[in-house]
Amino acid sequence: MTPWGTFVASEEDYVAVGFQLNGAKQRVVTTPDRTLLDILRDTLGLTAAKPGCTIGRCGACLVLVDGQPVNSCLIMAFQLEGAIVISPEGLASLFEAKFVREALVAENSFQCGYCAPGFTIALVALLRRDRTPNETAIRNSLAGNLCRCTGYQSILRGARTAIERLKEG
Amino acid sequence: MRIHRPATPDAAVRLVDDSGGAAYFVGGGTALQVEWRKRETRPTELVDLTALPGFETWTWESGRVRIGAGLRLSLFETDPDMGAALPLLANVTRDVAAPGIRHRATIGGNIAGRSGCLLPAFLVLDAEIELFDVEGRHLERLDVFLSRPASSTRLITAVLLTAQNCRDRWVHRKIGLRAGFTPSVVGVAGILRLDGALINEASVAIGGGINRPRRLTAVETILRGRALEAIEPTSLTNEIAALIDAPSDSFRSGRYRSRVAASAIVQGLIQAQRSVAKPRNRLHPVSHDSPDEIEVSRQILPERWRIRPDITEKVEGHAMFLTDRRSSNMLVGRILMAGVPHAVIHAINTKAAEALPGVVAVVTAADVPGLNAFGILRQDQPALCRDRVRFVGDVVAAVAAIDAATAALALRLIKVDYEPLPIVDEVAAALEPGAPLIHADGNLVHEATFDKGDADAGFAACAHVIEETYITPRQMHGFLETEGGFAVPETDGSLTVCVGGQHGTRDQMQIARILGWPMDMIRVVTSPIGGAFGGKDELTIQPALALLALKSGCPVRLHLDRAESVTLGMKANPMRIRMRTGCDANGRLLAQEVDLLADSGAYASFSPAVVNIALEHACGPYLVPNVRTRGRLAYTNNGRCGAFRGFGAPQMTFAIESQIGRLAERVGLDPITMRRRNMREPGSPGYHGHALSPSERLNEMLDAAAASSLWRSLDDEQGQGVLIGTGIAVNHQGNGFGSLAPDESAIRLSLAPDGKVEAAFGFDEMGQGVLTAIKEVIATKLGCCRDDITPVTGDTALTPDSGGTSAGRGAYLMWRGASEAGPKFTVALQRAAAVLLGRHPDDLAVAPGGLRDVRSNSGDLLICFADLARMLGPTNLPSVDAKYSFPKTNYTDRNSRFIFASGAVVARVAVDRTTGAVRVLDLHQHTAAGPMIEPAAYLGQIEGGNLQGLGFTTTEHAEMVNGFYVTGNLDSYMLPTVIDAPLRTKVFALEGLDAGDLFGPRGVGEMGIVAVAPAVCAAVADAIGVWPTKIPIEPETLLDAMGYLRG
Repeated sequence: MTPWGTFVASEEDYVAVGFQLNGAKQRVVTTPDRTLLDILRDTLGLTAAKPGCTIGRCGACLVLVDGQPVNSCLIMAFQLEGAIVISPEGLASLFEAKFVREALVAENSFQCGYCAPGFTIALVALLRRDRTPNETAIRNSLAGNLCRCTGYQSILRGARTAIERLKEG
Repeated sequence: MRIHRPATPDAAVRLVDDSGGAAYFVGGGTALQVEWRKRETRPTELVDLTALPGFETWTWESGRVRIGAGLRLSLFETDPDMGAALPLLANVTRDVAAPGIRHRATIGGNIAGRSGCLLPAFLVLDAEIELFDVEGRHLERLDVFLSRPASSTRLITAVLLTAQNCRDRWVHRKIGLRAGFTPSVVGVAGILRLDGALINEASVAIGGGINRPRRLTAVETILRGRALEAIEPTSLTNEIAALIDAPSDSFRSGRYRSRVAASAIVQGLIQAQRSVAKPRNRLHPVSHDSPDEIEVSRQILPERWRIRPDITEKVEGHAMFLTDRRSSNMLVGRILMAGVPHAVIHAINTKAAEALPGVVAVVTAADVPGLNAFGILRQDQPALCRDRVRFVGDVVAAVAAIDAATAALALRLIKVDYEPLPIVDEVAAALEPGAPLIHADGNLVHEATFDKGDADAGFAACAHVIEETYITPRQMHGFLETEGGFAVPETDGSLTVCVGGQHGTRDQMQIARILGWPMDMIRVVTSPIGGAFGGKDELTIQPALALLALKSGCPVRLHLDRAESVTLGMKANPMRIRMRTGCDANGRLLAQEVDLLADSGAYASFSPAVVNIALEHACGPYLVPNVRTRGRLAYTNNGRCGAFRGFGAPQMTFAIESQIGRLAERVGLDPITMRRRNMREPGSPGYHGHALSPSERLNEMLDAAAASSLWRSLDDEQGQGVLIGTGIAVNHQGNGFGSLAPDESAIRLSLAPDGKVEAAFGFDEMGQGVLTAIKEVIATKLGCCRDDITPVTGDTALTPDSGGTSAGRGAYLMWRGASEAGPKFTVALQRAAAVLLGRHPDDLAVAPGGLRDVRSNSGDLLICFADLARMLGPTNLPSVDAKYSFPKTNYTDRNSRFIFASGAVVARVAVDRTTGAVRVLDLHQHTAAGPMIEPAAYLGQIEGGNLQGLGFTTTEHAEMVNGFYVTGNLDSYMLPTVIDAPLRTKVFALEGLDAGDLFGPRGVGEMGIVAVAPAVCAAVADAIGVWPTKIPIEPETLLDAMGYLRG
């Protein structure tokens, strides 16, 4: 009960979902079709993943699930059981993230920055798979991330700088 | 919703069968969000297939590959063995969606959806699918499966394929609406088995998007037995196209689909190279000495490059946008939009919604205490509609509830009784006598004319006249953060409204008028913003949000989802510009006539001013003695339009620059010489005969463009199925609101208790770099360091009214603000410190971190800012306010701008001979906008504007039919992706000002967007000989022009 009455959904509509989020166990009770994006933002208060289209077309909500970049607006609670999720807030645990973040900062890769966490996830995922991607591989890995401010060139410079710095160690 | 996770296919089938249609199978589930939004309902049960044995593995099975239907599309990228066995499929999957989706979407889902991009490939590979239904397991050929009606109880568990023969020729091509992550317009796949030069076997299939996936058996028949060298590609393409029946939609015609499909099949299977089109007589400029530009980059300007103060928190995700704020007692707001383009409201019934547990407030027009109207220039839009709706996104009601699900349900419970009215969806029709009236005072929102000289006499004397009609799109701003924020009723009875905006004080005034409150009872916070581009100039959700917070007595957050944002939000004014331009035999312009028709949508907002700015660019920067222009703006039921980066200049510049380029061809001049011959002289009167600011650099921009390396690039990509061309266009970029609009600003410098110098400036940080610029200009002026400065922006409680964050005003106003307030603030600091230190104020100077002895060279501080602040105490801290204006001309017959910057774009494009798609290879923007305050922000503004301009030119249009949006979300509205971005870009700056020029840095926020369309269109013309007149460019038009579509 809340001060305003009962919830709309009846109790049998709720499920408990257990998954790992940013290295810690999470258990969330929610409706099974609730998206990971909503769970992150509204239940857990983690707002780095952003809603931009909520149909998987902009990449602002990307997170890593079992190591792969996926749109958290498309993943529903019932698909989360046992998953290992890293949201943008938890990226620091990954070795490549430091290089990606520092390079994106050095190149002023973003302007409004709303898309920045999603791009960062995509780039970290790329560099975990391929330390020396060529220009085509970089662009392909970012094809699902929309940015309206920068024209992408600064993000590409950030990606190249991250690759160089990762090479130098 | 109940989720089942059966362990066997039979059990899965039984679950769906028993549910009587209530349940359906789910693999990756990536298509469900789109699907559920279309239907506005969700199933009560889902059958999750992920526990089925063998569902997510692939194996070799008696010489065939068995691919589990639950395998993800990314399999081919991650598993090299799979890619090697089935190169065609590997190629296809890379073109499906984007990595984030490919990691979740399944092979089975792509097939079961019956429109997946994999289907043509599976069809030509003679795929068989393993199915379960109530009768058990079956194997069925894919083409048979597709020919039978869809059934919710047939479960696909695997696909069986024979590995590709490595000697076979194969092709796959997906043709989309843009280059990256695109919906499919049409997809083809084909395999040829050759016996020497003879085609032994041919498999060809079509599909993708709205095309029915199928083998093209008739095409296979005509290919079989043909000798490769005997095939004439063009006639074969025509032959195949005639055999392909393809449907049309709002984006591409069936004719286009069948032609590009045929062309892709022939190009991919028969002949990789087409015969080169007729060589064209290209008029490229002669190289010229380049002016002393610098390329703007971190490498070239490391000393001046600043790291944005907000970049780290943005990259790490800690930056809090106004739509990110959550608190325990915060309600969730939702807006009920009209959903019909034009109707009378007979009744609004909110009883059921109000009675729903968890709903705290429902507001309608009855809750508006003040003026139920808003609008920047005229108040013609209701805050909440009472008796009439005029576009699909008109706000009818709003709810606040304890959570999003309750709010969504409450919206569905509000019943509105509409009586439809006739729809006006064309500007010309809106202005016809007898057209249905959208507002009582008529559909003509605004009309403006300007004549000089004698246009008729001018045209009579012309050797060449070009008359053309140019069409521009309803471009969407496409900010990644849709309209949203929160409002808080404060305990003192005031209201705080936190919604991204571009002029907090104006939002505050408009909200106050709606509430019938004094402005000072409302605090408006407008920064930070996840992008605006003009689309957050006008009020959007603020009226409904404010009313919900007041009625509920609780903080309320409200964030439009993208589909709502498309429906409710602003767009650029679509324009139809008829232009007639004439010159003498030497290319000197003699006459110009312009007739502009612009769509305002249902309300005026800033649109009349947009039309005025467009008309001010009717002749570009060229001297034309005889001019006749007319612009009309009409109300329609087509959404609502208004401010958009460039504010009318992109549309008119597209037209005039195209006209100049075409006249140059007629006269036989290269595009630079033609422009040079007509370019205004520095210091000559402006378009309306008024004075313009000094430091004009238009001729230097022409020099730079003429010297561009892009004219001399080798056509190295020419052989790859594309035609290459290079084009130029010029910017004459006005800054500021103009002579008729108020254009005031203010800044406040204060020493804060923490010892930082607070620079309060009422601008909004929407990404453009206000924070960087404030730190730079204030620190430079005071002589302290940038870290001593705390910029304060976008909050009416903390910042003075600096006017709108628009019109390229910011750079100048910040720079000028530093000069206005800086010296006075320095004196205030000197005086305050002098008292404490027992020194004379003139003995002290501001230094990094504090004040030093003016005669000291060491830089040692006598007192640091923190100590100064502490010793003065919180009530005695120095603070200086300055008010000033943006420079104006005193010509007031028409709105005219005084400050101009100059630029030129050189673009090199490739036109795809198969699809007609335009790909920008290189884009160089030359700029002369005075001294750069800071290069990173300058570069960012230009690059971002350039790509937004490229979207305007090639992919972006919010299509409407009968007053409804066809492009309802980012799956159909085509923002350019990183794949669509130019391969190579450069931005150049020519920084100097004339001696005595006191107007400092010019704004470049709009510079980048304006000249891209005409430069790209000129490059297209250079490549294929035809000037696009409608943007976004229609590939079909280009194919027709290239001669491949005739017949």
